[in-house]
Amino acid sequence: MAMSCRDRVLAALRCEDLDRPPAAICTTCDTIGMMEKCGASWPEAHSDPQKMATLGCAQADYFGLESVRAGFCLTEEAEALGCKVDMGTARSSPMLKSHRFNYNPMKKIYDEPEGNLPDIDTFLNTGRVKTAIEAMKIMHKTHGDRYVVFGGNTGPFTLCGHLLNTENLVYSVWTEPERAQKWVGAIAPYCKAFGQAMLDAGADVIQMSEPSASTDILAPSDFPIQSGQFVKHALGDLKGGHTILHICGDSAPIIPFMYDTGATGISIEEKVDPYKAVEIVNHRGCLVGNVGCSFPLFKGTPADVEAAAKKSMDAGFNIISAGCGVPIGTPDDNIRALVHAVTGHY
Amino acid sequence: MDKQALLKELADAVIACDPERAKKAAEEALKEKLDPVEAINEGLVVGMGVIGDNYAERKMYLPQVLVAAHSMYEGLDVLLPAIPKGDLSDAKTAETAVVQGDVHDIGKNIVKTMLTASGYIVEDLGKDVDPEIICKNANDKGIDVVCISTLMTPTMDNMERAVKLIRASKVADSTIVTIGGPPTSESFAEEIGADHRDENAQQCVKFVNHKMEENKKKGAN
Repeated sequence: MAMSCRDRVLAALRCEDLDRPPAAICTTCDTIGMMEKCGASWPEAHSDPQKMATLGCAQADYFGLESVRAGFCLTEEAEALGCKVDMGTARSSPMLKSHRFNYNPMKKIYDEPEGNLPDIDTFLNTGRVKTAIEAMKIMHKTHGDRYVVFGGNTGPFTLCGHLLNTENLVYSVWTEPERAQKWVGAIAPYCKAFGQAMLDAGADVIQMSEPSASTDILAPSDFPIQSGQFVKHALGDLKGGHTILHICGDSAPIIPFMYDTGATGISIEEKVDPYKAVEIVNHRGCLVGNVGCSFPLFKGTPADVEAAAKKSMDAGFNIISAGCGVPIGTPDDNIRALVHAVTGHY
Repeated sequence: MDKQALLKELADAVIACDPERAKKAAEEALKEKLDPVEAINEGLVVGMGVIGDNYAERKMYLPQVLVAAHSMYEGLDVLLPAIPKGDLSDAKTAETAVVQGDVHDIGKNIVKTMLTASGYIVEDLGKDVDPEIICKNANDKGIDVVCISTLMTPTMDNMERAVKLIRASKVADSTIVTIGGPPTSESFAEEIGADHRDENAQQCVKFVNHKMEENKKKGAN
């Protein structure tokens, strides 16, 4: 009997030997083509649990990807913690319009986390955080027997930047690293609670995105102390499911640190050569990626996508996925090409 | 402190990421009657150049660059008002913006800093900027260089619109346009009519300086 999509992805997460890896996009993938086919679109699908679940499941229902995933942006938690968000349109993603706290290391004006953050239960029952938890229940019920359900959330350093102003948080990493750590440490329990609530609601995997801790921003040597130790708490310590940490950019220098967080697997971009990535990983855990989002998925041809996907397969990635969030305008044929390259089916 | 020592102190203050020290050095430079343009170009800018090179080579990272930039601006805040207005009339001008639909502006801010450090008068239009405004400002003010960025793939359409508007405007031939940000590529720059795709801020400044020289020579011929 053929292996089910669910069993294949779970086996890949455990790094078991397989005849082929699964084609499963762990980062966001909710394109115009998917919205048109499934009838659930942005911006409503960001706030309506049923629409979020329908769009999240469209990956498998309409494109043959071997998992399902929601939510669709990195502003859910920031909004629930008090940031103002423009919800965008059917073609543009939600955008942060304000930060919640004053944090200006140049002028030495700081809010403190103590007494300024809501209790965890209130957070979990607020806005789109609650929406995503509800969506996990629906996706588990409708697709959980056949597909692994991924729940996406935001990493603690990144979320802290949304609340304080990322540039100012990064500035303080140089001038007052302990103050920066204190804030990220105060935010990490919210990330953990959100991830745990999604697992408890039926998600099989939590995929955490921590783009603000990329090597384009933090020195690799700063990663463990400024982000990694808090990701360990917020992701590595989750119970009852698998975990994947995604970081954009050239993550080669921090791949070992990413596994040190205790995540089951890591997801990386095409900026790291796939063969080099597999060598660095050295069997430490599941490796997910790394078909380029801008090129070939968005701007390339189906043949370009097939070539990139086959390269990641040949290198030895455990799950073949987009290297980062899939652009909304990505052509249907390019998504199908990724699936075809890996599974042999359209 | 003699002139050379003062210039070195200005550069060292930026390299040391010490805003207070840069401000003091700038005040000292004015007290010692140094030419403020020389203090900027041979002091602060030299320091920021060292930081930019190290950042491009990944020997330094963003936290240091941000504090070094703050140090340079602290010095500039003291020195710029001391420059006679006539001395700035020939200055090269640049405009920076993150395109509409995107609010991630750290990369754009670094480009702004490095352009400033290279002697450009930079007008920063900020983030989430309408392509029409990017084009209109360049036309209204005859801006020499327009640098636009985006971190997010969905906003590449607005980047394309901004560049195409400029290329269809009266400054089409005179304004240098560069684009930057992770989803952009050299082929995308070429496709939409930009002059260059910036890999990083240092490379951006090198390109526009080279292109400005090239344009100047063409104009002279």
